Amino acid sequence: MSELEQLRQEAEQLRNQIRDARKACNDSSLSQITAGLDSVGRIQMRTRRTLRGHLAKIYAMQWATDSRLLVSASQDGKLIIWDSYSTNKIHAIPLRSSWVMTCAYAPSGSYAACGGLDNICSIYSLKTREGNVRVTRELSGHTGYLSCCRFLDDSQIVTSSGDTTCALWDIETGQQTTTFTGHTGDVMSLSLSPDSRTFVSGACDASSKLWDIRDGMCRQSFTGHVSDINAVIFFPNGNAFTTGSDDATCRLFDLRADQELMMYSHDNINCGITSVAFSKSGRLLLAGYDDFNCNVWDTLKGERAGVLAGHDNRVSCLGISSDGMALATGSWDSFLRIWN
Amino acid sequence: MSDRIADEEPVAVTHTGPKGVINDWRKFKLESMDQEALPPNKRELLRQMSSPHKPRDSCVGGINRKMSAQEYELIKEDDEKSLRKYRKQCMQEMHERLSFGPKFEGVYDLDSGEAFLEVIEKEHRLTVVVVHIFKDGVQGCEVLNSCMDCLATEYPSVKFCRISAAATGAGERFSDDVLPALLVYKAGELLGNFLAVTQHFSEEFFATDVEAFLNEYGLLPEKECGPGADEDEADVE
Repeated sequence: MSELEQLRQEAEQLRNQIRDARKACNDSSLSQITAGLDSVGRIQMRTRRTLRGHLAKIYAMQWATDSRLLVSASQDGKLIIWDSYSTNKIHAIPLRSSWVMTCAYAPSGSYAACGGLDNICSIYSLKTREGNVRVTRELSGHTGYLSCCRFLDDSQIVTSSGDTTCALWDIETGQQTTTFTGHTGDVMSLSLSPDSRTFVSGACDASSKLWDIRDGMCRQSFTGHVSDINAVIFFPNGNAFTTGSDDATCRLFDLRADQELMMYSHDNINCGITSVAFSKSGRLLLAGYDDFNCNVWDTLKGERAGVLAGHDNRVSCLGISSDGMALATGSWDSFLRIWN
Repeated sequence: MSDRIADEEPVAVTHTGPKGVINDWRKFKLESMDQEALPPNKRELLRQMSSPHKPRDSCVGGINRKMSAQEYELIKEDDEKSLRKYRKQCMQEMHERLSFGPKFEGVYDLDSGEAFLEVIEKEHRLTVVVVHIFKDGVQGCEVLNSCMDCLATEYPSVKFCRISAAATGAGERFSDDVLPALLVYKAGELLGNFLAVTQHFSEEFFATDVEAFLNEYGLLPEKECGPGADEDEADVE
């Protein structure tokens, strides 16, 4: 038997072992276990603030860790830092490229980042001595579009790219500290774990992967979706995560069970999901669909608990603040709305 | 609600997220570039990008890529003027798409449970239906009825209806303390359920209060002159 044939057999055996191990601990389904749980009731949220100032579709947003400021990126080629309490614009940052796909706020509040079709992750210092905002670093190295970026701290940022890789960057030197390879499709989204030791990525190869930030290894791979994964978000306790896909479903994957626990879908829904967020407890899952609709799901029971916007579907991106008190949605009509 | 946009476009494209950006860029390139002045290889690429039948993704060696190498080369400094024009066009298209649909006049009186079901299930899938469940003599019902008369003239694309609790055939469900009730439907789905809705207003309330309330939940469409659509392209301060 040739060596290649032996390796193939070994790989096949390992795959079977993994499948059997997963089956062995799959003794029940999440919906069976939560059957007796009280339903979360109808969720009806109200707009509390409207943030006006952008001139075109909002592509992405992220809350700052103080749950008060937030950053938004729009097709008008601007990053705007908002005070969601007063609706004032703190900074309006012109970008070199209008085709921005992601934006991020550093936990310290001192930096913002964005990237898109320019393949570059640009880092902006928000607290310069002169009081203005300027680019401090342009992290180039990816050979594909920058789909998502998330700060670990003021000196490290993780990015995902259309070149099928993710990378950890040292902002000071502008170099990639670690490259995470393994996906066989454009990586569309990433989410840092609450302890910042790992992150999960979702890609157009319909799989999501858990990566160890320190050593660059892929610790776990999750399959189940039948089409591109567009969005991923960690569950608040770090033991699970949810993905949103073009197959019109969101799925909850558990790290310890190493498999899918629940699927959030409905026969009436045949539109892809492009953004996901959890409420602070994790009981509610917010999913933004490509027809600009937004559904609220009961994470535990797998039922739909509400719809965010009734008439004009407008949601192009969404995010929940870390104190759990507000949901921000960005829209194609250039406004952001704060709800709870 | 979910497949509205897919219905009206020849090709299903993504509008949000990173793929949304890619598709917006493709559309921009197609519309802004003077095709005659292009070298033949670029013209060929644009023709491919606009072809509805060619699969968008290139699968080379089993790897699922969303943008081809040639497309990456096309991304250069974009012309600011065409970009501005393109953005305005995008927003206008979206506003127009959502103001399509049947128009109504006045508040419709429903006289039975069947009429109620009929209006919920049979309206156009884009039409928002607001039903006021009232009972003569209950505080707030009369005022709410006149508010609805006002709103019906301001929002012709929304179907406002009223039905007395007794006529619904489920009179016991609607005891005096949950009336007046406002139920909002679209495409057969219940979007908003507001029992004893007057608890949200002060004792004297007007059409604008009801309008603001429904707007907060995102249930009303925008009025005829859309916000931001006519504004100058003033730079953000």
